[in-house]
Amino acid sequence: MAIEFLEHTADLGLRATGATLEETFCEAARGLFAAMLDVTTVDPSETYDVRLEAASSADLLVAWLSDLLSQKELTGLVFSKFEARIERSEASCHLDGTASGERLDPAKHRPGIEVKGITYLGLDVRREDGGWSAQCVFDV
Amino acid sequence: MRVPGRIYADERTIAQLEEDVRNRAEWNALRQVRNVAALPGIIDAALALPDVHPGYGFPIGGVGAFDLGEGVVVVGGVGFDINCGVRLLSTPLRHSDIEPLVERLGEGLYHTVPAGLGAGGKLRLSIAEIDRLLEEGAPYVVERGFGLPEDLTYIEEQGRMANADPSAVSTRAKQRQFRQVGTLGSGNHYLEIQVVDSVLDTEAASAYGLSERQILVSIHTGSRALGHQIGQDYLKEMTAASHKYGIPIPERELVCAPIRSPEGQRYLGAAACGANCAFANRQVIAHLVRDVFAEVAGLSAKQIRTVYDIGHNNVKVETHSVGGVRKSLLVHRKGSTRAFGPGREESPEAYRSVGHPILVGGTMGTASYVMRGTERGMEATFGSGIHGAGRALSRKKAAKRFWGEAVVSELAAAGIRVWAHSKRGVAEEAPGAYKDVEIVVNAAVEAGINQAVARLLPLAVVKG
Repeated sequence: MAIEFLEHTADLGLRATGATLEETFCEAARGLFAAMLDVTTVDPSETYDVRLEAASSADLLVAWLSDLLSQKELTGLVFSKFEARIERSEASCHLDGTASGERLDPAKHRPGIEVKGITYLGLDVRREDGGWSAQCVFDV
Repeated sequence: MRVPGRIYADERTIAQLEEDVRNRAEWNALRQVRNVAALPGIIDAALALPDVHPGYGFPIGGVGAFDLGEGVVVVGGVGFDINCGVRLLSTPLRHSDIEPLVERLGEGLYHTVPAGLGAGGKLRLSIAEIDRLLEEGAPYVVERGFGLPEDLTYIEEQGRMANADPSAVSTRAKQRQFRQVGTLGSGNHYLEIQVVDSVLDTEAASAYGLSERQILVSIHTGSRALGHQIGQDYLKEMTAASHKYGIPIPERELVCAPIRSPEGQRYLGAAACGANCAFANRQVIAHLVRDVFAEVAGLSAKQIRTVYDIGHNNVKVETHSVGGVRKSLLVHRKGSTRAFGPGREESPEAYRSVGHPILVGGTMGTASYVMRGTERGMEATFGSGIHGAGRALSRKKAAKRFWGEAVVSELAAAGIRVWAHSKRGVAEEAPGAYKDVEIVVNAAVEAGINQAVARLLPLAVVKG
C-alpha cells in the first residue's frame, strides 16, 4: 500500500499500489489530496458518500478522483480517509465509497498546489505482483 | 500522420525532445505532436512553438488548426484551465516612484486578491448570475461595478466569446464556481509588479503606451474550478463521441468529436463559457489591483489602464490564408496565445497597425516579455505566439532541488520580493525549474513568428 509521485515536466503523475483494487483506489485518493496539502493534518471528522459507475476500472478511477476533487469547492471539504467497495462486470464497474475529512483550513493543512483535473494521460489500472496498481496524471 | 509536425525551437530544446524519444520517455512532446498530426481534418501541420514541453493530448506550446467541415474539436487541445491567460495593466508610476511603495503594494495585493488552495472570492453568484457571467464574460462583471468599460476594448474578443452556451455547462461546474470568481488560484498563477526594463520595438511600445522604467502589473490566472470541471465533463463526453463517430484515437487524451456534430458544438459552447469566466475573473482581479494602488499610491482607477488581456488555452474559429485562399478554421492553442500581426480587425483600433500584444509570462525571478505577431507568423503558425518560459524540471525534481524559504531569500537578495500562500508552491515554481525565457523569446524572434516589444522585470510577486 503506497503512493509515489512520478516525473512529468508540466503536471504531476501519481502511482498508487495496494493489495486489492479497493485499497489501491483509496491510496490514489489519498495521493490526490497529498498532492495538494499535508493529509496527515486532516481530521476525518465529516464523511461524504460516493456512488459511481463507469465503463472500466480505469474510467472508474478518473470518476472517483474527479468527484472527490470537485467536492473541495462544493462542500469545502478536503479528505484524508477513504473506503471503497467496487463491483466489476464485463460491461461496467460500480463504486460505493466514503471519503472523510474536514473543512479546508490553510493554517492547519499547509496547502501547496491545486490539482485542476484528472487527465487520461498514462491512465492505467492493473493487477501487479499479487496486488493492484493505478496510475494517472493530474493537471496542476 | 495526415500532415507533418513542425516545431519552432532552439537547438537545445530540439535535442531534448529527441533525447526524450531515444530514452523512450513515458511522456514526450514529439510523440504528442505526431499524434495531433494524425487527427482528422488537421490543416497544414501540427505545430509546436519554442516553449514546447510535454503536456497531455496536445503538447504545451502546441497549435492545431482544423477544417470546419472535416475537422474535429479536441478537449486536450485546450486543457482544464480554459483561457488561462495574462492581463497586463499599466500605471503612470516610474521605477523611481515605486521603491518606497513596493512593500505596501505587494502586501496589499497579497491580502486583497484571494489566492491559494480553497480561497473564496468576494463576488458570490447565484446560478442565474453565473449563467449571465458565462454568456456575457467580462462585460457582465463591469456592469456589476468591477473595472471600467474602456478595459473591454483591450481584452481579446472584448472579453466575451459570442458562441458561449451556458446550457452546455453542467450544474456541478457552475456550483463549483460560486465562490471562485475573482480568485487567483495556485501553481504557476501569479500577480507581479513589474518595471519596463527595455523597449525593443519603439513603434509597437508607443502604440501600447509602454515606456522604459514604467511600472506595470501582470495578472496570470484562468477559469478556475468552472473551467476545470468543463474539461473533466467533456473528456468523458468526448470519449463516447469518439466511439460514436468511429474516430481512431492515438491516445485517450485526444478524444474528440467532429466540429459539426452536436457533441462538438456543445463542447465549443461550453469552452466559450470557460473562456468568458476567465475573462471575467481577470477583470475582477484587475479591479482589486486598482483598489490596492488607490489606497497605497493614490492612483485613480482611470490611471491604471488595461494594456491587453490574452489567453493561452483556447479554441476558436478564425480566418486564415491557406494556400492563398481565405478560410475559416478551428484553431486550438494549448499553452500558446493568438498572435495576430498588423492589419487584422480583431486587434483594437489603437494597436491595429502593429498587431495586438502577446503577453509572455516569466517566472518569479526572470523577465516577462510583451511581444507582437508578424506577417511570417500569420503564414507559418496561424498567427500564434509563445506564452512563457515553459517548464524544464518536473515539480517533483524542483521540490527536491529547491527550498521555498531559500528561493524567497535569494530573490529578495536580487531585489524581488515574494509573497506566497504556499512555501511548497514556491519551491515547485522556483525560477530554476523553468527554461530560460530569453532562449524561448530569441527562438520565436529568430524564427520570425513573433517580435519582441518590451522586456519586463519583476519587482514584487504574489503567488497562490
